[in-house]
Amino acid sequence: MDIKLTEDQTQLQDIASKFMDNHCTFDFVRKMEKDEGFGFCPDMWKQFADMGWLGIIVPEEFGGMGMSTLDMVVLVREMGRHLCPSPYLFTSVLAADVIAQAGTRKQKAALLPEIVSGKTIYAFAYQEYSRFFKPEHIKLQAKRDGDNFILNGTKLFVEFAEGADTIVVAARTGKANSQSGLTLFLVDRNSTGISIKHMPTMSRDRHYQIDFNNVEIPTSARLGKQSKGWEALEPSLHKTVIAFCAYTNGAGFEMHGYATKYASERVQFGRPIGQMQTIQGYLAQMIMELYGADMLTMFSAFQIDKARHTRGYVAKAKAFSAETVGHVMDVSSQIFGGMGYMEEQDTTLFLRRGKQYQLALGGTEYWEDVIAEEIIDREPVVLT
Amino acid sequence: MDFDWSPEEIAFREEVREFIAREMTEEVEGSIFIDTPPRIEFVTKMGKLGWLGMGFPEKYGGSPNPFPLAQFILNSELDRSGAPIIGKNVGTIASTIFNVASEEMKMEFLPMIFRNEGQWAITYTEPNAGTDLGSMQCRAIDKGDHFEVTGMKHYITSAHFCRWHWMALRTDPDAPKHKGISIFIVDHDSPGLSLSRMDTIGREGTTHRTNQVFFDKMKIPRARLVGELNKGFYYMMQALDYERFAILSFASRVRRFDHIVDWYKNVDFEGERPSDDPNTRRSLARMAARVEVGTMLERMAICKAQYEVPAVEAAMNKAWGASIGDEFAQLSLDLMGPFGGLWGGEHSPFEGGLADEYLMAGHARVAAGGVDTSKAIIARRLLGLPNALDKPKLPQR
Repeated sequence: MDIKLTEDQTQLQDIASKFMDNHCTFDFVRKMEKDEGFGFCPDMWKQFADMGWLGIIVPEEFGGMGMSTLDMVVLVREMGRHLCPSPYLFTSVLAADVIAQAGTRKQKAALLPEIVSGKTIYAFAYQEYSRFFKPEHIKLQAKRDGDNFILNGTKLFVEFAEGADTIVVAARTGKANSQSGLTLFLVDRNSTGISIKHMPTMSRDRHYQIDFNNVEIPTSARLGKQSKGWEALEPSLHKTVIAFCAYTNGAGFEMHGYATKYASERVQFGRPIGQMQTIQGYLAQMIMELYGADMLTMFSAFQIDKARHTRGYVAKAKAFSAETVGHVMDVSSQIFGGMGYMEEQDTTLFLRRGKQYQLALGGTEYWEDVIAEEIIDREPVVLT
Repeated sequence: MDFDWSPEEIAFREEVREFIAREMTEEVEGSIFIDTPPRIEFVTKMGKLGWLGMGFPEKYGGSPNPFPLAQFILNSELDRSGAPIIGKNVGTIASTIFNVASEEMKMEFLPMIFRNEGQWAITYTEPNAGTDLGSMQCRAIDKGDHFEVTGMKHYITSAHFCRWHWMALRTDPDAPKHKGISIFIVDHDSPGLSLSRMDTIGREGTTHRTNQVFFDKMKIPRARLVGELNKGFYYMMQALDYERFAILSFASRVRRFDHIVDWYKNVDFEGERPSDDPNTRRSLARMAARVEVGTMLERMAICKAQYEVPAVEAAMNKAWGASIGDEFAQLSLDLMGPFGGLWGGEHSPFEGGLADEYLMAGHARVAAGGVDTSKAIIARRLLGLPNALDKPKLPQR
């Protein structure tokens, strides 16, 4: 057992870190918040493609780099450090993975290379009007009509929907209020009957409501087996959730670094405030939580690569990373004093996002329920 | 990054598990402390297998280290099963002797430690020198061929059955306080040494004994000075880095948490099942994530230990481990309503063990440097923040 990054992973991390330092500055992040366009930068997306990042987990036979989940999270953690706004998670992790796992040979050959090249951007339409993240709560109807399916319903919190080309939609084709009975569809964003509305959030990111009003899509747009959508989606969703944890952990580490630096420089009562034990205690507690969240995330990624039963671990990683990022953004801001709450202060970019991250992709209670199912309702799987 | 154990690591783990299955008895189980004859005997058997001196040269009675993580695997398995772990004797005392003592001292004491002959007490703490060990006042006065000691120490675990004391004393009252302390090996039978019993909080039969130790013109032969005069504080600090890590295997906490979850899975209060209650479920789930984080921090420390003494990681391990131990002891009581506080009897879950656990959890928070001390170490050594006790130094502009 050895938890040091491999040489290749270190190199990937260095390249990503340098790229982000140069291109994803706070000014850039602010600009994207106010962007008239889609909230991310198409040129940057092109550069991601040139560096091979868009196909990092896409199998080599479809033009990707065929790298591991662990490699991918090393990269995503660097994006998180810089709060990089991009549809990376839902395109290059969720869509790429679910197509590679559940797609037909034809779908893979047609769609995966376009992810790798940067041609197609994906959004993920899952959440509906529910506090939780359960597949049971999906109501959006897909009805078979000859050679087509007709979609009716509403999806919420679809990130970067406006800038996406294709939307991965989880729809109900079978039994209501059940994990089974879902089907995945790849829906052209420009389909007739789709209307998209921005959902403003405190993090000024790009979440959208999508209303599907008699949207007709061909049966060829179905991904995986009918009414087996959750079975197809869950593993890819877990991979995405772990990537998201890496992203938020990265953001947490970065914010913690700013707070530590500030504490060493800010003088009150004739000494740097970082010399005071209260401040030291906060910073020490937070770095411990960050290391813990990071290790749990890496561990889960490793186990995903080994194809072991990781549901409980993913849930623990998400619940704990979420709690950590929220806590780190809050307490770090407090260390900055009044300045920590001024709009012009760059660390407020982190503060506004912390809580939002905590609530995304299933809030804490949802994932705690998953943990409970894994440790109480069944024989727990312990990976050592 | 490879989180999997290697085949040789797994093979060794199996060997340890077999040993435990063979040698573990009810008298041995129940505590990490080596403080009863059956527990001492259990450790002696490990010594015979060469497990106490792993990584030390054979001429001192050591045995080759099969691989870097062997010691950790051993401790983790011992801890998981409630057996005494390889703690201070090897971790603190043998390591320091090996690093700084004279050849004669190494030859005399190391083989004994690795055979588990003669128990040890670590005799540092004084009423006015707890967390701030540098403030210790108990003096050893240099009399040429021996040192003379008059004074006292307290919270000295193991002193009532030890053969030797690993003792820190002030040898230079005029030097800056960290530069006037030395370490000695003191024979427990030395004339002038006496004990008084102190009991830790808890139920009859489950408490631990610790001690006050008094010295009245006790003589320590000069040959029993460990390493150099007045370097003792630095030896102690180095050893504590290791001890924080060595004595705080997280495995027993995982085991105890699993027992609690198991209990909640199956218990039924006349039809009301906690395992159906969303509040109970989420509380246990949240704790499960935090317990898992403990396992992860421990893993981080042991992986680092393959390359260097994991001082910061050990401090994290210690701070998180002890806090979590307390958190889940509290939680397991909270979830039980009024039954949590029972100390035995018909309705008492775990025969009162949870209340015991709650009382014991405090011990872990303060042993081997408290949780707050560990956080101060993290702040200084990892984050580079100035020592809170130093004179303020203003940042360069």
